[in-house]
Amino acid sequence: MAEKQKIIKGCIATGLFLMMLLQAGCAFKDIDKRIFVVGIGVDPSEKVKDGFRVTLKLAKPYGNVRQAQTPTYAYLSHDADSVAVAVAEMETRVDKLLDLTHNRIIIINKELLTKDLHTVMDFFTRRGDIQMVCYIAIAGTTSEEAISFEPTIETPASIALYNYFDNTGTESPYIVTTFLFEFRRELLEKGKDTVLPIIDIDEENQEYKVNKSIVFRLDKEPLELTPEETKYFNSLANRASGFSYKFQDKDHSVVLNIYEVRFKYEIILNEGEPRIDIKVTKVGYIGESKHRLDPSKLDKYNKLAAKDTKAEVMDLLTKLQEKNLDPFGFGLRYHATRLSRKGIMEEWERIYPEIKFNVTVNVKLKGTGAVE
Amino acid sequence: MNEQQGTSGAPEAPPLLNTLSKEFKPSNDVVQTPLQIKGECAFLFYLKSVTDGDKIHQTVIRPFFEMASEESFTSYIQSLPNQSEVPAKEQLFVKISAGSVLIAIRDRTFLLDVRLVKNNEVQDTTIEPTVHGPQKGLSEDIGTTINLIRQRYHKPSLIVEEIVTDDETNRTVALLYDNDLVEPEVLKKIKAELENLQTPLFQSAGELQHFLNKSRWTLFPTTIITERPDRIIFNLVGGKVVIAIDGSPNVIIAPVIFFDFMSSMEDNYRVSVLSGMTILLRYIGLFICILLPGLYVAMTSYNPNILRIELALTVAGSRIGVPYPSFFEVLFMLLFMELLTEASMRLPKAVSGTATTVGGLILGTAATEASLTSTIMIIIIAAMAISTFVIPINEMSFTMRVVRVLLLIYSSLFGMVGLLIGFMGIIFLMVNKESLGIPYLRIPWIGKNDELKADNK
Repeated sequence: MAEKQKIIKGCIATGLFLMMLLQAGCAFKDIDKRIFVVGIGVDPSEKVKDGFRVTLKLAKPYGNVRQAQTPTYAYLSHDADSVAVAVAEMETRVDKLLDLTHNRIIIINKELLTKDLHTVMDFFTRRGDIQMVCYIAIAGTTSEEAISFEPTIETPASIALYNYFDNTGTESPYIVTTFLFEFRRELLEKGKDTVLPIIDIDEENQEYKVNKSIVFRLDKEPLELTPEETKYFNSLANRASGFSYKFQDKDHSVVLNIYEVRFKYEIILNEGEPRIDIKVTKVGYIGESKHRLDPSKLDKYNKLAAKDTKAEVMDLLTKLQEKNLDPFGFGLRYHATRLSRKGIMEEWERIYPEIKFNVTVNVKLKGTGAVE
Repeated sequence: MNEQQGTSGAPEAPPLLNTLSKEFKPSNDVVQTPLQIKGECAFLFYLKSVTDGDKIHQTVIRPFFEMASEESFTSYIQSLPNQSEVPAKEQLFVKISAGSVLIAIRDRTFLLDVRLVKNNEVQDTTIEPTVHGPQKGLSEDIGTTINLIRQRYHKPSLIVEEIVTDDETNRTVALLYDNDLVEPEVLKKIKAELENLQTPLFQSAGELQHFLNKSRWTLFPTTIITERPDRIIFNLVGGKVVIAIDGSPNVIIAPVIFFDFMSSMEDNYRVSVLSGMTILLRYIGLFICILLPGLYVAMTSYNPNILRIELALTVAGSRIGVPYPSFFEVLFMLLFMELLTEASMRLPKAVSGTATTVGGLILGTAATEASLTSTIMIIIIAAMAISTFVIPINEMSFTMRVVRVLLLIYSSLFGMVGLLIGFMGIIFLMVNKESLGIPYLRIPWIGKNDELKADNK
């Protein structure tokens, strides 16, 4: 009898357990009941005073990737007085769960940099389902436009904007990449200013154009770098290679292909005037020339290239110094290599505007790039 | 038969033979015959269906008529190699029915083993085939099986112990072990288990294995059933005990650890890198087979964020129109796959191909067409089905089929975390288990030879 009771009990327990399976829990949400956000843009709102206009790029699932001819995205914009409220209100406008976990780019309007950046960023850093490895970028015009723009080469199931920044697609020295965690860190710490890429749309309105950047520190006017400056900055600070560098020599016009960049610097304060010794080494070969080149004269080209590069680097450094911006993180290095004491950063703030740059550029060309 | 005795009349049959013939009476294959020449006489008693008539004729009947006296015939019989002591009555019945002939000369009796074994051909290895290594397995006849093992293991320390169990059929069970290497504790345990068998009937190694296992609910097998002589020898050297059962072409090896189930004899026959890769492949297969369905549910319904966006979108797309939640979809396909596996195993070889084609190809395609499941699901099911069969020992691969359902339930309830907890639970279960005193999940990382030695401590 006891045996029988045991069996009955077991059966009931198993039955209840199996029934539990049918009661899909609250965390259980099938993938087709979710809609993935693949881009967030934040603009200042025109409708709500001091508010934001948040634009979401939503990826619609499709049955067969190969049959889908055009990318299938939907865009949703909403005005509210905070980003969180805008996102929350947008949840009432879609039938599925807004899944932010797959979002990897946040585009911010340029105006917001000087206005309400703290409020904007707070939402993104606080929310657990936004990954800190999101890319942060600045919109050339408005974020809404940048987010909802569909370049002609964008293929289904591949989000064009991600490819610019993650180095799996294009790799260009003109493109700087900043992650959300990096952005937040650089925003809050002293001694290093953040550089954000600017996403433009080209004149033909066909493709994105990401070749400029913006250097920025809280409570300071942002400085926009030209493509050329961005390239120099990127090649030094991030060792971006593949960098085609052009120089002019009387009637020569030569383009160098650099595949290795080394950048070293030292802050020297106790030998006369404070100065930063910067040593740049570039290794590469000649990529294009209008004339025949003599391999035995590589030394000459080295020198010419070095001279030219030095001038460019100096220009960039002094321009940043004049604006009192420091994206290379000289201040951070100063702070890190000195004994910590009170007022060390204020000290640096005083030193930096007057510091001298002593740049040495060393170009090592490995060949003329052509077989004789 | 009996009439023969009646007609010949003269000498009286010994009482033992009469008892025997009473016991076997209604059967038609009983032969009780006297041999008589010039006052010399002997009696034979045997079952003609299990004895070799030729042999009886060659070794018993003809010499009897050629010999001059009963004495010389007696000493001749005594010197035969297949002669054995006459045991007690109960045992004698068993012997006679297993194919012995009882010879009575005056008041002396002799037992000659003249078994006629028709099922003694050596079988091909079909359950655990290998490319290299022996292609022949064991035999259904226990004598042949022991012969096959002995012929590969020439050492006096190899002990063959026959145990006649007291189930209904009195089937012979033989224990084989290397006396120098075996762990006495383990041997004692196995003997005790065999003697205490409380089962009316067992017919195969699988069945005996089941009875040897004491606990009521068992998920993991604690003994290996194998048909490969090379695996048997390998394990004998490792100090393990082999249990052979008459009539079964498989033997049981005990004690075992989990990793024994994951090793194929092929591993020893190949160059190290090659076998290393196959072993790696096998473990990958194991994990795919148990984790994939759970992973699918966890990823599609709880944590799609761990997928790449492209995959997430494709999965979401392929689930368009699927009416049931993901775990139901998996259960549904899993059920059909299990049915298919079961069906193709039970069906005759000629038909099983059809079952696989109809089931696998047509059902799979149709299920996606009818949007009952997603296309990704079909891929997952197929990958899982294939990887199940990578596990070399069948018992374990069947066990893994159950394990993955458990993990599926866990991950349907608690997502990725559930899958992890379920997996840990399975590991707990294995850690807690032991096979005749040997921890089940002992990791033989010390290397094959050291491991073999460690078994003997």
